[in-house]
Amino acid sequence: MILTIARKDFREIIRDGRMLWAAALIIILSVVAMASGSIRQSQINSERAAGQALDYQAWLQQGERHPHDAAEQGMHVFKPEPPLAVLDPGIEPFVGSTVWLQAHRQSELKFRPAQDATGLQRFGQLSPAWIVQVLVPLLIIVIGFGTISGERERGTLRQLLSIGVPARKLLLGKALALAACAFALVIPAWLVFSIVAVGRLPSTERLDVVYRMAWLIAGYGLYLGFFVFLTIAVSALVRSSRAAVVLLLGFWVAATLIAPRTASEVANVVYPTPSRLDFNNHLSHDISEAAGQAWKSTFNVDAQWDSSLPLSKWGAALRVDDHAGYGVLDQTFGKLWDTFEHQQRFQQWVGLLAPVITLRGFSMGLAGTDFAQHRDFSTAAELQRRKIQDIVSDDLVAHADTLGNAHFSYKAGAKLWATVPEFKYQLPTVGFAAARYWRDLLLLAVMFAAAALLAHAAVSRSLKRVA
Amino acid sequence: MLEALAVKKQFGAKLALDDVSLNVQPGDIYCLLGANGAGKTTLINLFLNFIQPTAGQLLIDKHDVTAQPLETKRLLAYIPEQVNLYSQLSGVENLAFFATLAIGEELPRERLIELLQAAGLPLQAADDRVGTYSKGMRQKVGIAIALAKNAKALLLDEPTSGLDPSAANEFSELLVNASRNGVAILTTTHDLFHAKQTGTRIGIMRRGKLVQELSSADVSHADLQALYLEHMRA
Repeated sequence: MILTIARKDFREIIRDGRMLWAAALIIILSVVAMASGSIRQSQINSERAAGQALDYQAWLQQGERHPHDAAEQGMHVFKPEPPLAVLDPGIEPFVGSTVWLQAHRQSELKFRPAQDATGLQRFGQLSPAWIVQVLVPLLIIVIGFGTISGERERGTLRQLLSIGVPARKLLLGKALALAACAFALVIPAWLVFSIVAVGRLPSTERLDVVYRMAWLIAGYGLYLGFFVFLTIAVSALVRSSRAAVVLLLGFWVAATLIAPRTASEVANVVYPTPSRLDFNNHLSHDISEAAGQAWKSTFNVDAQWDSSLPLSKWGAALRVDDHAGYGVLDQTFGKLWDTFEHQQRFQQWVGLLAPVITLRGFSMGLAGTDFAQHRDFSTAAELQRRKIQDIVSDDLVAHADTLGNAHFSYKAGAKLWATVPEFKYQLPTVGFAAARYWRDLLLLAVMFAAAALLAHAAVSRSLKRVA
Repeated sequence: MLEALAVKKQFGAKLALDDVSLNVQPGDIYCLLGANGAGKTTLINLFLNFIQPTAGQLLIDKHDVTAQPLETKRLLAYIPEQVNLYSQLSGVENLAFFATLAIGEELPRERLIELLQAAGLPLQAADDRVGTYSKGMRQKVGIAIALAKNAKALLLDEPTSGLDPSAANEFSELLVNASRNGVAILTTTHDLFHAKQTGTRIGIMRRGKLVQELSSADVSHADLQALYLEHMRA
């Protein structure tokens, strides 16, 4: 009975011109977004890999020079774009991808934290994920608003009731037809993309992407299912198809267009982030203070780089100076990053009213383009920077100190540079994302179940009132 | 087959049916006459379990309509004044859909065409979209659905209203054929001629009461008209 109802509804929808036009638009947009995204990603990743390799080669071949000069020059490392960023670029377009690992300060990174606060709030570029998050629910509404109200207006609901079609089977049949339409637009393009994307990856990374895709399919399935049941529920509850479409479009505008922006603004008020200027000033002040204390306690001088400190001690001084800053950097960046994560968690709760917010966080997380994974890269890059500082400082302590006032004439060579390992960043696995986002999937499941229960109650009520 | 036992139905303060009892046997065509608001459609809706009685009992083949709605709906077919079908689908697709829901299995196309032809739908119209059908053609699809269902009871609400005389006559013949096959038919109508011509029994309703029952064989057209007017004026 369910399949019979679904087949009939599907046939009616297909014969209705609205579906074909909307479907053509969505499929074209998806294919264009995936194709351009894949080409762009392929170029970007090869450029980034080449850029990083070139910079490392330059480091290795920089010739003989003072180690601290080498550390000041440092090197650049690049964040690789995860394979599923083509589906959902997440915050990637709004945060830096290149980190300059140079002496003294993490603040020289091209990732600019205070600016990223506003970057996180920007959503809505054309991507396959955006199409499914925003356009496909609109399509479900457009083709489904009359699914029950239309039957009632045509009188066919009465005919169905006279046959004894139970509410549950009517609901499931109609839901199946709407879901089939929605998934028919999404699944083929995503499937082709997945096969191509997985095929291009080294075999060791394939399974991870497959797991990620499975999570994404579950999340998006629940999200679209929510809209399917909500559309049926509203169609069953209101008196006319016109009222149904007005209500549903109102919800769509509020929940998918207005709510994310509002939630982001509210999250920024509840968990404020500093301006870039404030952040940098605060960071400089704290580093300076920490370094001052370290210099005082280690060398008993009142100012950093005090002229009373013999040059032979400048290697040790560099190490003290760097290490004094590490704690401040960890604390200050950690606090800022924690604030971003608090903002994101706050928005998850707003997602109870607007599921697109929950889905966006979930989707970015599983695509590997969320803030947590950006933070993971930034942390790895900073560890590499500190590794360079420590190697350089240790070398200065070992060599320059013995030269006394000839400290600045010391030059290291290729042997030292080669002790700095090449930066190899491993993207976090699916477990990293799953541990952070299983609650979002659960929330989507709860919203799906709530919409299904509402739809069941609404259809039952509608059948009781048909006479 | 169709039994109403002291049925009352109240909508708020209004008593729509007041102690109505009737019995439609297999092979009967029971025509309910009455003015608008007399309670004819309410009685049909009660048999369909679209609404529940305030008092009394409705039975279809001894099954209580309220207690066993799915069992009773399997036994009956319903043809309203306007047979509502899916305009995007063809006649044969509509029949296939409703027949599958009603009997739980898909009938082959040949059988569907047979049923439509038995209901009097021209073969060449079977694959046309129902949106292009006349009211009479829709009624025929409704009959085909009833035939597919092999219903033991048929409930019709003003089925010939709006049909041209030829189509109404054709429809009446279909009902007579169905009754000859043992189907119990309960139909509401304003058409005294149709009731006398087609019905085996006639009931006259007024203000929710079944005020008179008679056998159509025992009454002439003129007498039926006189009786009806007498009840309406009372």
